Amino acid sequence: VRLAELRDCFQGVIPSILATASADGEPNVTYISQVHYVDEAHVALSCQFFNKTRRNIAENPRATVNVYHPVTLDAWRLRLRFDHSETEGLLFEKMALRIQVIASHTGMSGVFRLISADVFDVLELERIDGFLLPAETAVAPTAAASDAHAQGPLTELRGLQVVSERIARAADLDGLLTDTLAALDDLLGFSHTMVLVPADCPDRFVAIASRGYEEGIGAEVALGEGIIGTAADRRRMIRLSSVGAELRYGRAIRSRVEEHGHADQLAPEIPLPGLPDAQAQLALPLLAGERLIGVLAVESRDPLCFDEWDEAFLQIVANQIAIAIDRMQSTEEETAAATLGRRTRKIVYYRNDDCVFADGEYLVRNVPAKILWKVLRQHQRDGQIEFTNRELRLDPSLGLPPLKDNLESRLILLRKRLSDKCPDIRIVPVRRGRFALQLDCDVELTEKECG
Amino acid sequence: VISAELKAFLESGISVLIGTRDRDAVPECARAVGARVDAGGDELTVFLPEATSAACLEHLRANGRIAVCVSRPADHRSIQIKGRAHSIRRASAEERAFVERYVAALARTLTFVGLPERLTLRIAHWPCQAVSVRVESLYLQTPGPEAGTPLPAARAEAGS
Repeated sequence: VRLAELRDCFQGVIPSILATASADGEPNVTYISQVHYVDEAHVALSCQFFNKTRRNIAENPRATVNVYHPVTLDAWRLRLRFDHSETEGLLFEKMALRIQVIASHTGMSGVFRLISADVFDVLELERIDGFLLPAETAVAPTAAASDAHAQGPLTELRGLQVVSERIARAADLDGLLTDTLAALDDLLGFSHTMVLVPADCPDRFVAIASRGYEEGIGAEVALGEGIIGTAADRRRMIRLSSVGAELRYGRAIRSRVEEHGHADQLAPEIPLPGLPDAQAQLALPLLAGERLIGVLAVESRDPLCFDEWDEAFLQIVANQIAIAIDRMQSTEEETAAATLGRRTRKIVYYRNDDCVFADGEYLVRNVPAKILWKVLRQHQRDGQIEFTNRELRLDPSLGLPPLKDNLESRLILLRKRLSDKCPDIRIVPVRRGRFALQLDCDVELTEKECG
Repeated sequence: VISAELKAFLESGISVLIGTRDRDAVPECARAVGARVDAGGDELTVFLPEATSAACLEHLRANGRIAVCVSRPADHRSIQIKGRAHSIRRASAEERAFVERYVAALARTLTFVGLPERLTLRIAHWPCQAVSVRVESLYLQTPGPEAGTPLPAARAEAGS
């Protein structure tokens, strides 16, 4: 038997058993919520507290774990030898994320956390024969349970094609999300889904589309809270199987912390958004470049609903949704900018330094700065739009030399600086010796001495 | 050592695990099918199915050292008991009824955490060995920061 074949036993649906022994031979036995598959020769166990198990392993690296198949209840024994602890890196991150989700759900962020991912060599793997007595009656497997997977990746690829097509053709955001979530349900059997986007107040996310819930739209989650908030915060996909079992475990720790007078360290437990009896959850961040566009959340009452294939597959859908939302939002923004309010630029001229700042950022200095200031002031005073080179030359306050003043090259510099830093303020040549001021924004002018 | 309250908890049909070790301190674990408090709280009898506890029974015959973890699946309330096995014998016919009641109670408890009785009622439980353990110490094992601390309540009540 390959270790990978026991992956279902490692989902945490049925807690595993771990035995260790101290150097002087005192055995210890405990439940552990999860065994993590690392590779064919290694598993990792999470260390959340410095407890007896941890002390034993430090003294005596041998350990034995029994794991159970969540559907058949077949039992397996793994003989282990402690190899090393990891406190950073991919494995640690992955295990820590899972614990963080449970911790935040149960209001224990910071109290309940991963100390280390303890990696063990798997020395031996054997089935525990006779753990179950023979069944009096053979129980027929339910047909629906494994239907989608039985049809294999081709069906899912076709489903993906349809989902992708609906995303590509969507006319607006509402249609995009509604159609996509409907396609995920109809074609791929993900019947409880939500898309959350950043809410108006910072660090909160709000559901703007949902499928399979009586009330879903408007549900809010804070950044870092629960599986959705954690996926948003860490920008990583998170899968939780057996949510019920993990939450019971989290609540057990919470009540111990409370009983020991540390209740003040705990935040209130937050209800799971979505299904009250969800057994498996998957949250995928929607990323466009570096920007977090939102979160796609998928839930199920079946604790083993999601596997790695679903992760890979939904990640593709999530990426497409992210790009589509981003595209629609930027189109919306452009339209909004054109029709609705103009922005106001705060332009500050520092008299004794001859320099101009736009919105607190340095724009230009010396003669080009004086030219820009003059032009903006005159425009503000009497609405003047067109200016001649001649009137600039005649203005003694600009301090242009009488000969070889290089006015043209200074105007070019000003034009370049503006197009780089303030593209909504433009100086456009109209005909020989003349230029026009074009404003796509409002300007607020302030003159200051610098200190 | 074991208080009346704890006795009721231990015998309430909750999960019982045992840990042993061989002469090289290599540990082994198994699921027991019942625990009974005897001798006014100084002794615990655990029932180990022969089908799945062969290695543990061999260790117990060799060195007697045993850890017992009793845990309630619904809220993870857990106690760890350390002790020495001093007698190991095949469970009697009259104890079989106790064991069967235990398995039925455990199966019922496990339905609340999503395990169907059609599976849990099949957990190997007969024939089994009755292992008598002299209790040496008790520890709190409910997951959390205090896990692993000696159980003060039980000690305070030990004299009562």
